[in-house]
Amino acid sequence: MTGLQRIRSVLAGLLMLAGVALLLVQPEAGYRIIALILSVVLLIDGVRSLWFYFSMARHMVGGRLILFRGIIALDLGMFAYSLQEIPPVYILLYLLVANLFAGVIDVLRAMEAKRMESRWRLNLAIGIANILLALSCGFCFRNPTLLAYVYAAGLAYSACLRIAQAFPKTAIVYIP
Amino acid sequence: MQEDFHYYATYCAAFLAGYSHAESLDICYSAQFVDLCSASLLAKIRAPRAAATTQLAMEMADARTDLLGLQNITRIWASFHFLPYDLYAEKKGVSRLYRQKYRLICQPNGSLVEDTVRLAKGSSLQAVGLAMHVLADTWAHRNFAGTPSLVINNTNEHFYELLPDGTERQIKFRHNPTAPDDLERGLFTNSLYQMGENAVMNLGHGRAGHLPDYSFIRYKYLPAWGGYRELLKDNPSDYLHAFCQMIEAMKYLRGERERFEKERYDRAAIEGLEDEIQTILCTRRLDACADWKALGERLSGQPIEAFSVEKYQQAYRDTPESGKDETFLGKFILAALAQKSMVTNKIYRSGSLLAGFSVDYEQKGFRGIKDFRKLVEQAREGEG
Repeated sequence: MTGLQRIRSVLAGLLMLAGVALLLVQPEAGYRIIALILSVVLLIDGVRSLWFYFSMARHMVGGRLILFRGIIALDLGMFAYSLQEIPPVYILLYLLVANLFAGVIDVLRAMEAKRMESRWRLNLAIGIANILLALSCGFCFRNPTLLAYVYAAGLAYSACLRIAQAFPKTAIVYIP
Repeated sequence: MQEDFHYYATYCAAFLAGYSHAESLDICYSAQFVDLCSASLLAKIRAPRAAATTQLAMEMADARTDLLGLQNITRIWASFHFLPYDLYAEKKGVSRLYRQKYRLICQPNGSLVEDTVRLAKGSSLQAVGLAMHVLADTWAHRNFAGTPSLVINNTNEHFYELLPDGTERQIKFRHNPTAPDDLERGLFTNSLYQMGENAVMNLGHGRAGHLPDYSFIRYKYLPAWGGYRELLKDNPSDYLHAFCQMIEAMKYLRGERERFEKERYDRAAIEGLEDEIQTILCTRRLDACADWKALGERLSGQPIEAFSVEKYQQAYRDTPESGKDETFLGKFILAALAQKSMVTNKIYRSGSLLAGFSVDYEQKGFRGIKDFRKLVEQAREGEG
Protein backbone atom coordinates (compact mmCIF):
# COMPACT_ATOMS: atom_id res chain seq x y z
CA MET A 1 0.00 0.00 0.00
CA THR A 2 1.19 3.52 -0.70
CA GLY A 3 1.22 6.07 2.14
CA LEU A 4 -1.73 7.87 0.57
CA GLN A 5 -3.74 4.63 0.37
CA ARG A 6 -3.05 3.99 4.07
CA ILE A 7 -4.21 7.50 5.04
CA ARG A 8 -7.33 7.10 2.87
CA SER A 9 -8.09 3.79 4.50
CA VAL A 10 -7.86 5.24 8.03
CA LEU A 11 -9.97 8.27 7.12
CA ALA A 12 -12.67 6.08 5.55
CA GLY A 13 -12.70 3.91 8.68
CA LEU A 14 -13.03 6.95 10.96
CA LEU A 15 -15.88 8.33 8.85
CA MET A 16 -17.68 5.00 9.10
CA LEU A 17 -17.18 4.99 12.89
CA ALA A 18 -18.72 8.46 13.02
CA GLY A 19 -21.72 7.00 11.17
CA VAL A 20 -21.93 4.21 13.76
CA ALA A 21 -21.97 6.76 16.60
CA LEU A 22 -24.75 8.70 14.88
CA LEU A 23 -26.83 5.54 14.44
CA LEU A 24 -26.36 4.55 18.09
CA VAL A 25 -27.21 8.03 19.42
CA GLN A 26 -30.29 8.43 17.25
CA PRO A 27 -31.50 4.95 16.31
CA GLU A 28 -35.03 6.14 15.52
CA ALA A 29 -33.68 8.41 12.77
CA GLY A 30 -31.27 5.68 11.76
CA TYR A 31 -33.27 3.98 9.12
CA ARG A 32 -33.69 7.21 7.15
CA ILE A 33 -29.93 7.64 7.23
CA ILE A 34 -29.44 4.05 6.07
CA ALA A 35 -31.94 4.52 3.25
CA LEU A 36 -30.06 7.62 2.20
CA ILE A 37 -26.74 5.74 2.32
CA LEU A 38 -28.15 2.88 0.23
CA SER A 39 -29.53 5.19 -2.45
CA VAL A 40 -26.21 7.06 -2.59
CA VAL A 41 -24.43 3.68 -2.84
CA LEU A 42 -26.64 2.83 -5.84
CA LEU A 43 -25.84 6.16 -7.46
CA ILE A 44 -22.14 5.66 -6.91
CA ASP A 45 -22.41 2.09 -8.24
CA GLY A 46 -24.07 3.42 -11.40
CA VAL A 47 -21.37 6.01 -11.97
CA ARG A 48 -18.64 3.46 -11.26
CA SER A 49 -20.16 0.99 -13.74
CA LEU A 50 -20.24 3.66 -16.43
CA TRP A 51 -16.64 4.59 -15.63
CA PHE A 52 -15.71 0.88 -15.73
CA TYR A 53 -17.38 0.54 -19.12
CA PHE A 54 -15.65 3.52 -20.71
CA SER A 55 -12.23 2.77 -19.20
CA MET A 56 -12.11 -1.03 -19.47
CA ALA A 57 -15.22 -3.03 -20.34
CA ARG A 58 -15.73 -1.49 -23.79
CA HIS A 59 -12.69 -3.53 -24.88
CA MET A 60 -14.27 -6.74 -23.63
CA VAL A 61 -16.39 -9.27 -25.49
CA GLY A 62 -19.96 -8.62 -24.31
CA GLY A 63 -18.92 -5.49 -22.42
CA ARG A 64 -22.00 -3.52 -23.43
CA LEU A 65 -23.88 -5.30 -20.64
CA ILE A 66 -21.85 -3.23 -18.18
CA LEU A 67 -23.03 -0.06 -19.87
CA PHE A 68 -26.68 -1.12 -19.48
CA ARG A 69 -26.08 -2.10 -15.87
CA GLY A 70 -24.54 1.30 -15.12
CA ILE A 71 -27.47 3.14 -16.63
CA ILE A 72 -30.01 1.03 -14.71
CA ALA A 73 -28.14 1.38 -11.38
CA LEU A 74 -27.88 5.13 -11.86
CA ASP A 75 -31.57 5.32 -12.64
CA LEU A 76 -32.49 3.19 -9.61
CA GLY A 77 -30.24 5.30 -7.39
CA MET A 78 -31.92 8.49 -8.51
CA PHE A 79 -35.31 6.90 -8.05
CA ALA A 80 -34.47 5.69 -4.53
CA TYR A 81 -33.05 9.11 -3.65
CA SER A 82 -36.21 10.82 -4.84
CA LEU A 83 -38.39 8.66 -2.59
CA GLN A 84 -39.34 10.27 0.71
CA GLU A 85 -39.42 6.98 2.51
CA ILE A 86 -38.28 3.44 1.79
CA PRO A 87 -40.21 0.88 3.85
CA PRO A 88 -37.80 -0.49 6.52
CA VAL A 89 -38.79 -4.01 5.54
CA TYR A 90 -36.72 -3.76 2.34
CA ILE A 91 -33.63 -2.61 4.18
CA LEU A 92 -34.09 -5.35 6.76
CA LEU A 93 -34.38 -7.89 3.96
CA TYR A 94 -31.15 -6.60 2.47
CA LEU A 95 -29.37 -6.92 5.83
CA LEU A 96 -30.85 -10.35 6.42
CA VAL A 97 -29.65 -11.73 3.10
CA ALA A 98 -26.20 -10.11 3.37
CA ASN A 99 -25.58 -11.43 6.88
CA LEU A 100 -26.97 -14.86 6.13
CA PHE A 101 -24.76 -15.22 3.07
CA ALA A 102 -21.63 -14.10 4.98
CA GLY A 103 -22.54 -16.46 7.83
CA VAL A 104 -23.01 -19.50 5.61
CA ILE A 105 -19.70 -18.82 3.83
CA ASP A 106 -17.89 -18.58 7.18
CA VAL A 107 -19.43 -21.84 8.43
CA LEU A 108 -18.52 -23.63 5.18
CA ARG A 109 -14.99 -22.29 5.42
CA ALA A 110 -14.74 -23.51 9.02
CA MET A 111 -15.92 -26.97 7.92
CA GLU A 112 -13.32 -27.01 5.13
CA ALA A 113 -10.58 -26.04 7.61
CA LYS A 114 -11.79 -28.65 10.13
CA ARG A 115 -11.61 -31.37 7.47
CA MET A 116 -7.98 -30.38 7.01
CA GLU A 117 -7.50 -30.32 10.79
CA SER A 118 -6.56 -26.65 10.47
CA ARG A 119 -7.84 -23.73 12.61
CA TRP A 120 -11.61 -23.51 12.31
CA ARG A 121 -13.20 -22.34 15.57
CA LEU A 122 -12.92 -18.57 14.95
CA ASN A 123 -14.50 -18.85 11.50
CA LEU A 124 -17.30 -20.99 12.89
CA ALA A 125 -17.96 -18.46 15.68
CA ILE A 126 -18.06 -15.56 13.19
CA GLY A 127 -20.34 -17.56 10.90
CA ILE A 128 -22.77 -18.41 13.71
CA ALA A 129 -22.77 -14.76 14.87
CA ASN A 130 -23.63 -13.61 11.35
CA ILE A 131 -26.43 -16.15 11.02
CA LEU A 132 -27.85 -15.16 14.43
CA LEU A 133 -27.73 -11.53 13.36
CA ALA A 134 -29.63 -12.40 10.19
CA LEU A 135 -32.21 -14.35 12.18
CA SER A 136 -32.68 -11.46 14.60
CA CYS A 137 -33.42 -9.24 11.58
CA GLY A 138 -35.95 -11.84 10.48
CA PHE A 139 -37.72 -12.00 13.86
CA CYS A 140 -37.95 -8.23 14.37
CA PHE A 141 -39.04 -7.42 10.87
CA ARG A 142 -40.78 -4.15 11.57
CA ASN A 143 -38.48 -2.63 14.15
CA PRO A 144 -36.51 0.35 12.78
CA THR A 145 -34.46 0.67 15.99
CA LEU A 146 -33.15 -2.87 15.67
CA LEU A 147 -32.42 -2.15 12.02
CA ALA A 148 -30.23 0.76 13.07
CA TYR A 149 -28.33 -1.37 15.62
CA VAL A 150 -27.74 -4.24 13.18
CA TYR A 151 -26.56 -1.88 10.48
CA ALA A 152 -24.33 -0.08 13.00
CA ALA A 153 -22.73 -3.40 13.99
CA GLY A 154 -21.93 -4.23 10.36
CA LEU A 155 -20.63 -0.73 9.73
CA ALA A 156 -18.41 -0.87 12.84
CA TYR A 157 -16.93 -4.19 11.69
CA SER A 158 -16.15 -2.77 8.23
CA ALA A 159 -14.68 0.39 9.78
CA CYS A 160 -12.36 -1.62 12.05
CA LEU A 161 -11.22 -3.72 9.07
CA ARG A 162 -10.52 -0.57 7.05
CA ILE A 163 -8.42 0.95 9.82
CA ALA A 164 -6.64 -2.33 10.60
CA GLN A 165 -5.65 -2.91 6.97
CA ALA A 166 -3.78 0.40 6.89
CA PHE A 167 -1.10 -0.81 9.30
CA PRO A 168 0.33 -4.26 8.49
CA LYS A 169 3.54 -4.63 6.52
CA THR A 170 2.64 -5.64 3.00
CA ALA A 171 5.82 -5.47 0.91
CA ILE A 172 7.64 -8.56 -0.33
CA VAL A 173 11.41 -8.60 -0.06
CA TYR A 174 13.36 -9.56 -3.18
CA ILE A 175 16.92 -10.89 -3.08
CA PRO A 176 18.47 -10.72 -6.55
CA MET B 1 -3.85 -29.41 -14.94
CA GLN B 2 -4.61 -32.03 -12.37
CA GLU B 3 -2.93 -34.82 -10.43
CA ASP B 4 -2.57 -36.96 -13.55
CA PHE B 5 -0.19 -34.48 -15.15
CA HIS B 6 1.35 -32.68 -12.15
CA TYR B 7 2.11 -35.91 -10.28
CA TYR B 8 2.33 -38.93 -12.59
CA ALA B 9 3.33 -37.25 -15.87
CA THR B 10 5.87 -35.09 -14.02
CA TYR B 11 7.33 -38.28 -12.56
CA CYS B 12 7.69 -39.68 -16.10
CA ALA B 13 9.30 -36.44 -17.37
CA ALA B 14 11.73 -36.34 -14.41
CA PHE B 15 12.75 -39.95 -14.97
CA LEU B 16 13.20 -39.37 -18.70
CA ALA B 17 15.33 -36.32 -17.85
CA GLY B 18 17.70 -38.57 -15.94
CA TYR B 19 16.60 -38.28 -12.32
CA SER B 20 16.49 -41.44 -10.23
CA HIS B 21 13.23 -43.03 -9.08
CA ALA B 22 13.52 -41.48 -5.60
CA GLU B 23 14.42 -38.05 -6.98
CA SER B 24 11.58 -38.21 -9.50
CA LEU B 25 9.15 -39.02 -6.67
CA ASP B 26 10.30 -35.95 -4.71
CA ILE B 27 9.97 -33.77 -7.79
CA CYS B 28 6.50 -34.93 -8.74
CA TYR B 29 5.31 -34.75 -5.11
CA SER B 30 6.41 -31.11 -4.97
CA ALA B 31 4.81 -30.36 -8.33
CA GLN B 32 1.46 -31.72 -7.13
CA PHE B 33 1.78 -30.13 -3.67
CA VAL B 34 1.61 -26.68 -5.29
CA ASP B 35 -2.11 -27.34 -5.82
CA LEU B 36 -2.63 -28.13 -2.11
CA CYS B 37 -0.37 -25.81 -0.14
CA SER B 38 -3.03 -23.38 1.09
CA ALA B 39 -2.94 -20.92 3.99
CA SER B 40 -5.20 -23.32 5.94
CA LEU B 41 -2.74 -26.19 5.48
CA LEU B 42 0.20 -23.98 6.45
CA ALA B 43 -1.67 -22.79 9.55
CA LYS B 44 -2.29 -26.40 10.50
CA ILE B 45 1.44 -27.28 10.41
CA ARG B 46 2.45 -23.91 11.94
CA ALA B 47 4.33 -22.83 8.82
CA PRO B 48 4.56 -19.30 7.34
CA ARG B 49 1.26 -18.58 5.60
CA ALA B 50 2.94 -16.24 3.11
CA ALA B 51 4.24 -19.40 1.43
CA ALA B 52 0.74 -20.41 0.27
CA THR B 53 0.76 -21.55 -3.35
CA THR B 54 -2.98 -21.98 -3.74
CA GLN B 55 -6.32 -21.04 -2.18
CA LEU B 56 -9.02 -23.53 -1.28
CA ALA B 57 -12.56 -23.13 -2.58
CA MET B 58 -13.87 -21.68 0.67
CA GLU B 59 -10.79 -19.52 1.15
CA MET B 60 -11.65 -18.05 -2.23
CA ALA B 61 -15.31 -17.60 -1.34
CA ASP B 62 -14.25 -15.79 1.82
CA ALA B 63 -11.38 -13.88 0.21
CA ARG B 64 -11.39 -10.12 0.55
CA THR B 65 -11.40 -8.24 -2.73
CA ASP B 66 -10.10 -5.00 -1.29
CA LEU B 67 -6.65 -3.81 -2.34
CA LEU B 68 -4.65 -6.11 -0.04
CA GLY B 69 -6.88 -9.11 -0.68
CA LEU B 70 -6.52 -8.71 -4.45
CA GLN B 71 -2.77 -8.36 -4.19
CA ASN B 72 -2.57 -11.56 -2.15
CA ILE B 73 -4.73 -13.44 -4.68
CA THR B 74 -2.63 -12.13 -7.58
CA ARG B 75 0.66 -13.05 -5.89
CA ILE B 76 -0.51 -16.62 -5.43
CA TRP B 77 -2.19 -17.27 -8.75
CA ALA B 78 0.17 -15.29 -11.01
CA SER B 79 3.28 -16.77 -9.37
CA PHE B 80 2.28 -20.44 -9.42
CA HIS B 81 -0.58 -21.08 -11.84
CA PHE B 82 -0.84 -18.28 -14.42
CA LEU B 83 2.69 -17.04 -15.00
CA PRO B 84 2.47 -13.77 -16.99
CA TYR B 85 3.86 -13.95 -20.51
CA ASP B 86 4.89 -10.38 -21.22
CA LEU B 87 4.90 -7.76 -18.45
CA TYR B 88 5.66 -5.04 -20.97
CA ALA B 89 3.08 -5.98 -23.61
CA GLU B 90 1.44 -3.04 -25.37
CA LYS B 91 -2.18 -2.60 -26.31
CA LYS B 92 -3.24 0.66 -27.84
CA GLY B 93 -6.20 2.77 -26.76
CA VAL B 94 -6.76 1.16 -23.37
CA SER B 95 -6.55 2.53 -19.84
CA ARG B 96 -3.51 1.98 -17.61
CA LEU B 97 -5.35 -0.48 -15.36
CA TYR B 98 -6.58 -2.46 -18.35
CA ARG B 99 -3.04 -2.64 -19.72
CA GLN B 100 -1.69 -3.82 -16.36
CA LYS B 101 -4.21 -6.65 -16.24
CA TYR B 102 -3.67 -7.49 -19.91
CA ARG B 103 0.03 -7.90 -19.18
CA LEU B 104 -0.73 -10.62 -16.64
CA ILE B 105 -2.18 -12.96 -19.27
CA CYS B 106 -0.43 -16.30 -19.09
CA GLN B 107 1.25 -17.87 -22.13
CA PRO B 108 4.07 -20.40 -22.48
CA ASN B 109 7.63 -19.40 -23.35
CA GLY B 110 7.64 -16.01 -21.65
CA SER B 111 10.78 -14.66 -20.04
CA LEU B 112 9.35 -15.42 -16.59
CA VAL B 113 9.42 -19.14 -17.39
CA GLU B 114 13.16 -18.85 -17.96
CA ASP B 115 13.48 -16.95 -14.68
CA THR B 116 11.43 -19.62 -12.89
CA VAL B 117 13.58 -22.48 -14.19
CA ARG B 118 16.82 -20.60 -13.46
CA LEU B 119 15.64 -19.87 -9.93
CA ALA B 120 15.41 -23.62 -9.32
CA LYS B 121 18.93 -24.25 -10.65
CA GLY B 122 21.23 -25.42 -7.87
CA SER B 123 18.31 -25.53 -5.46
CA SER B 124 16.35 -28.40 -3.90
CA LEU B 125 14.33 -31.07 -5.69
CA GLN B 126 11.29 -29.37 -4.18
CA ALA B 127 12.22 -26.20 -6.11
CA VAL B 128 12.53 -28.29 -9.28
CA GLY B 129 9.06 -29.77 -8.76
CA LEU B 130 7.55 -26.37 -8.04
CA ALA B 131 9.13 -24.93 -11.19
CA MET B 132 7.74 -27.83 -13.25
CA HIS B 133 4.25 -27.09 -11.96
CA VAL B 134 4.57 -23.44 -12.99
CA LEU B 135 6.01 -24.35 -16.41
CA ALA B 136 3.34 -26.96 -17.15
CA ASP B 137 0.55 -24.59 -16.14
CA THR B 138 1.73 -21.95 -18.62
CA TRP B 139 0.54 -24.38 -21.33
CA ALA B 140 -2.71 -25.48 -19.75
CA HIS B 141 -3.75 -22.08 -18.43
CA ARG B 142 -2.67 -19.96 -21.37
CA ASN B 143 -4.94 -17.03 -22.34
CA PHE B 144 -6.13 -16.42 -18.77
CA ALA B 145 -4.68 -14.17 -16.07
CA GLY B 146 -3.94 -14.99 -12.43
CA THR B 147 -5.84 -12.04 -11.09
CA PRO B 148 -9.59 -11.52 -10.75
CA SER B 149 -10.64 -9.68 -13.91
CA LEU B 150 -13.90 -9.73 -15.81
CA VAL B 151 -12.44 -7.88 -18.80
CA ILE B 152 -9.64 -10.43 -19.22
CA ASN B 153 -10.98 -13.78 -18.01
CA ASN B 154 -14.66 -13.73 -18.94
CA THR B 155 -16.11 -16.05 -21.56
CA ASN B 156 -19.55 -16.13 -23.14
CA GLU B 157 -21.89 -18.67 -24.75
CA HIS B 158 -19.72 -18.84 -27.90
CA PHE B 159 -17.85 -21.93 -26.70
CA TYR B 160 -17.56 -25.08 -28.86
CA GLU B 161 -15.83 -28.39 -28.37
CA LEU B 162 -14.12 -29.84 -31.45
CA LEU B 163 -14.94 -33.54 -31.25
CA PRO B 164 -12.59 -36.29 -32.50
CA ASP B 165 -14.93 -37.07 -35.45
CA GLY B 166 -14.42 -33.53 -36.76
CA THR B 167 -17.79 -32.15 -35.68
CA GLU B 168 -18.41 -29.27 -33.27
CA ARG B 169 -20.68 -29.19 -30.24
CA GLN B 170 -21.64 -26.15 -28.21
CA ILE B 171 -20.49 -26.49 -24.61
CA LYS B 172 -23.12 -25.95 -21.95
CA PHE B 173 -21.95 -24.56 -18.64
CA ARG B 174 -23.65 -24.97 -15.28
CA HIS B 175 -22.65 -23.65 -11.87
CA ASN B 176 -23.02 -26.64 -9.57
CA PRO B 177 -19.56 -27.21 -8.06
CA THR B 178 -20.48 -30.66 -6.75
CA ALA B 179 -21.64 -32.04 -10.11
CA PRO B 180 -18.91 -33.78 -12.13
CA ASP B 181 -18.39 -32.66 -15.72
CA ASP B 182 -20.44 -34.73 -18.16
CA LEU B 183 -18.32 -35.51 -21.22
CA GLU B 184 -21.07 -37.41 -23.02
CA ARG B 185 -23.49 -34.50 -22.99
CA GLY B 186 -20.89 -31.72 -23.15
CA LEU B 187 -22.02 -30.34 -19.80
CA PHE B 188 -19.34 -28.60 -17.74
CA THR B 189 -19.22 -26.64 -14.49
CA ASN B 190 -17.87 -23.10 -14.52
CA SER B 191 -17.93 -20.13 -12.16
CA LEU B 192 -20.89 -17.77 -11.99
CA TYR B 193 -21.02 -14.68 -14.14
CA GLN B 194 -20.27 -11.74 -11.87
CA MET B 195 -20.30 -8.22 -13.27
CA GLY B 196 -17.77 -6.94 -10.75
CA GLU B 197 -14.36 -6.58 -12.38
CA ASN B 198 -12.60 -7.92 -9.27
CA ALA B 199 -15.06 -10.66 -8.26
CA VAL B 200 -13.22 -13.88 -7.37
CA MET B 201 -15.42 -15.73 -9.86
CA ASN B 202 -13.43 -13.93 -12.54
CA LEU B 203 -10.09 -15.37 -11.46
CA GLY B 204 -8.06 -17.42 -13.95
CA HIS B 205 -9.97 -19.96 -16.01
CA GLY B 206 -12.97 -20.14 -13.66
CA ARG B 207 -15.31 -18.91 -16.36
CA ALA B 208 -14.09 -21.66 -18.71
CA GLY B 209 -14.55 -24.32 -16.03
CA HIS B 210 -12.03 -27.16 -15.90
CA LEU B 211 -11.66 -27.36 -19.67
CA PRO B 212 -8.04 -26.14 -19.61
CA ASP B 213 -7.26 -28.95 -17.12
CA TYR B 214 -8.29 -31.82 -19.45
CA SER B 215 -5.54 -33.02 -21.77
CA PHE B 216 -7.87 -34.52 -24.39
CA ILE B 217 -10.07 -31.57 -25.20
CA ARG B 218 -9.94 -29.15 -28.12
CA TYR B 219 -12.25 -26.17 -28.11
CA LYS B 220 -12.76 -22.71 -29.55
CA TYR B 221 -14.15 -19.66 -27.81
CA LEU B 222 -14.02 -15.87 -27.59
CA PRO B 223 -11.64 -14.72 -24.87
CA ALA B 224 -12.87 -11.47 -23.30
CA TRP B 225 -9.65 -9.67 -24.21
CA GLY B 226 -9.48 -10.96 -27.78
CA GLY B 227 -11.55 -8.37 -29.65
CA TYR B 228 -14.09 -10.96 -30.90
CA ARG B 229 -11.37 -13.09 -32.53
CA GLU B 230 -12.08 -16.78 -32.07
CA LEU B 231 -9.35 -18.67 -30.27
CA LEU B 232 -8.61 -22.38 -30.70
CA LYS B 233 -7.25 -24.24 -27.69
CA ASP B 234 -5.61 -27.53 -28.60
CA ASN B 235 -4.90 -29.23 -25.26
CA PRO B 236 -3.33 -32.48 -26.59
CA SER B 237 -0.74 -30.44 -28.47
CA ASP B 238 -0.18 -28.05 -25.55
CA TYR B 239 0.19 -30.89 -23.04
CA LEU B 240 2.72 -32.68 -25.25
CA HIS B 241 4.73 -29.45 -25.54
CA ALA B 242 4.56 -29.05 -21.76
CA PHE B 243 5.81 -32.62 -21.24
CA CYS B 244 8.77 -32.24 -23.62
CA GLN B 245 9.63 -28.79 -22.25
CA MET B 246 9.67 -30.18 -18.71
CA ILE B 247 12.21 -32.81 -19.81
CA GLU B 248 14.30 -30.09 -21.45
CA ALA B 249 14.14 -27.91 -18.32
CA MET B 250 14.99 -30.76 -15.96
CA LYS B 251 17.96 -31.79 -18.10
CA TYR B 252 19.22 -28.22 -17.63
CA LEU B 253 18.55 -28.37 -13.89
CA ARG B 254 20.47 -31.64 -13.63
CA GLY B 255 23.41 -30.08 -15.47
CA GLU B 256 22.98 -32.10 -18.66
CA ARG B 257 22.27 -28.91 -20.64
CA GLU B 258 24.28 -25.72 -20.34
CA ARG B 259 21.35 -23.40 -20.89
CA PHE B 260 17.60 -23.44 -20.64
CA GLU B 261 16.15 -21.83 -23.70
CA LYS B 262 12.55 -21.08 -24.51
CA GLU B 263 10.75 -22.91 -27.28
CA ARG B 264 12.95 -25.99 -27.03
CA TYR B 265 11.27 -29.34 -26.51
CA ASP B 266 13.12 -32.59 -25.97
CA ARG B 267 11.21 -34.75 -28.46
CA ALA B 268 14.17 -37.13 -28.71
CA ALA B 269 13.63 -38.17 -25.08
CA ILE B 270 10.19 -39.57 -25.91
CA GLU B 271 11.18 -41.45 -29.05
CA GLY B 272 9.37 -44.78 -29.04
CA LEU B 273 6.89 -43.47 -26.46
CA GLU B 274 5.21 -40.76 -28.50
CA ASP B 275 2.27 -42.88 -29.66
CA GLU B 276 1.57 -44.10 -26.14
CA ILE B 277 1.78 -40.58 -24.71
CA GLN B 278 -0.49 -39.25 -27.47
CA THR B 279 -3.01 -41.96 -26.64
CA ILE B 280 -2.94 -41.05 -22.94
CA LEU B 281 -3.34 -37.37 -23.75
CA CYS B 282 -6.15 -37.83 -26.27
CA THR B 283 -8.37 -40.34 -24.47
CA ARG B 284 -11.66 -38.69 -23.45
CA ARG B 285 -11.94 -38.98 -19.66
CA LEU B 286 -11.77 -36.78 -16.60
CA ASP B 287 -8.68 -38.38 -15.05
CA ALA B 288 -5.67 -40.04 -16.72
CA CYS B 289 -3.80 -41.00 -13.53
CA ALA B 290 -3.89 -44.76 -14.12
CA ASP B 291 -2.26 -44.61 -17.57
CA TRP B 292 0.44 -42.10 -16.60
CA LYS B 293 1.17 -44.21 -13.49
CA ALA B 294 1.50 -47.37 -15.59
CA LEU B 295 3.86 -45.60 -18.00
CA GLY B 296 5.97 -44.24 -15.15
CA GLU B 297 6.23 -47.62 -13.45
CA ARG B 298 7.24 -49.25 -16.70
CA LEU B 299 9.92 -46.61 -17.33
CA SER B 300 11.56 -46.92 -13.90
CA GLY B 301 10.56 -50.46 -13.01
CA GLN B 302 9.53 -49.15 -9.58
CA PRO B 303 6.10 -48.69 -8.02
CA ILE B 304 4.85 -45.11 -7.79
CA GLU B 305 3.03 -44.56 -4.53
CA ALA B 306 -0.25 -42.65 -4.54
CA PHE B 307 -0.03 -38.99 -3.64
CA SER B 308 -0.83 -38.26 0.00
CA VAL B 309 -1.05 -34.68 1.17
CA GLU B 310 -0.31 -35.82 4.75
CA LYS B 311 2.98 -37.53 3.88
CA TYR B 312 5.47 -34.94 5.15
CA GLN B 313 3.32 -32.87 7.50
CA GLN B 314 4.07 -34.68 10.75
CA ALA B 315 7.81 -34.60 10.14
CA TYR B 316 7.63 -30.83 9.64
CA ARG B 317 5.61 -30.33 12.82
CA ASP B 318 7.89 -32.56 14.89
CA THR B 319 11.14 -30.92 13.77
CA PRO B 320 12.46 -28.13 16.02
CA GLU B 321 12.32 -24.61 14.58
CA SER B 322 16.05 -24.56 13.83
CA GLY B 323 15.82 -27.61 11.58
CA LYS B 324 12.51 -27.03 9.81
CA ASP B 325 14.09 -25.54 6.68
CA GLU B 326 15.90 -28.83 6.13
CA THR B 327 12.72 -30.91 6.11
CA PHE B 328 10.89 -31.82 2.89
CA LEU B 329 8.16 -29.25 3.44
CA GLY B 330 10.67 -26.69 4.76
CA LYS B 331 12.50 -26.85 1.43
CA PHE B 332 9.22 -26.58 -0.46
CA ILE B 333 8.27 -23.51 1.57
CA LEU B 334 11.60 -21.82 0.82
CA ALA B 335 11.12 -22.54 -2.89
CA ALA B 336 7.58 -21.13 -2.79
CA LEU B 337 8.70 -17.93 -1.02
CA ALA B 338 11.52 -17.47 -3.54
CA GLN B 339 9.19 -17.91 -6.53
CA LYS B 340 6.58 -15.55 -5.09
CA SER B 341 9.22 -12.95 -4.28
CA MET B 342 10.71 -13.17 -7.79
CA VAL B 343 7.40 -12.89 -9.66
CA THR B 344 6.11 -10.09 -7.41
CA ASN B 345 9.33 -8.18 -8.03
CA LYS B 346 9.03 -8.55 -11.81
CA ILE B 347 5.42 -7.38 -11.79
CA TYR B 348 6.28 -4.45 -9.50
CA ARG B 349 9.20 -3.41 -11.68
CA SER B 350 6.92 -3.38 -14.71
CA GLY B 351 5.06 -0.51 -13.03
CA SER B 352 2.11 -2.48 -11.70
CA LEU B 353 0.99 -2.76 -8.09
CA LEU B 354 -1.45 -5.59 -8.83
CA ALA B 355 0.73 -8.05 -6.88
CA GLY B 356 1.83 -5.51 -4.27
CA PHE B 357 5.08 -3.84 -3.31
CA SER B 358 8.47 -5.40 -3.76
CA VAL B 359 11.52 -4.20 -1.83
CA ASP B 360 14.99 -4.84 -3.20
CA TYR B 361 17.02 -6.24 -0.30
CA GLU B 362 20.35 -5.04 -1.69
CA GLN B 363 19.15 -1.45 -1.79
CA LYS B 364 16.89 -1.13 1.23
CA GLY B 365 17.60 -4.08 3.48
CA PHE B 366 14.82 -6.21 4.89
CA ARG B 367 11.34 -4.70 4.87
CA GLY B 368 7.81 -5.98 4.62
CA ILE B 369 6.16 -9.31 5.43
CA LYS B 370 8.33 -11.02 8.03
CA ASP B 371 7.75 -14.56 6.66
CA PHE B 372 10.10 -13.67 3.82
CA ARG B 373 12.98 -13.21 6.28
CA LYS B 374 13.62 -16.90 5.64
CA LEU B 375 14.90 -15.97 2.18
CA VAL B 376 17.43 -13.60 3.72
CA GLU B 377 18.60 -16.30 6.14
CA GLN B 378 18.89 -18.77 3.27
CA ALA B 379 20.92 -16.29 1.20
CA ARG B 380 23.27 -15.67 4.15
CA GLU B 381 23.74 -19.39 4.66
CA GLY B 382 24.53 -19.71 0.95
CA GLU B 383 27.19 -17.01 1.25
CA GLY B 384 28.62 -18.61 4.37
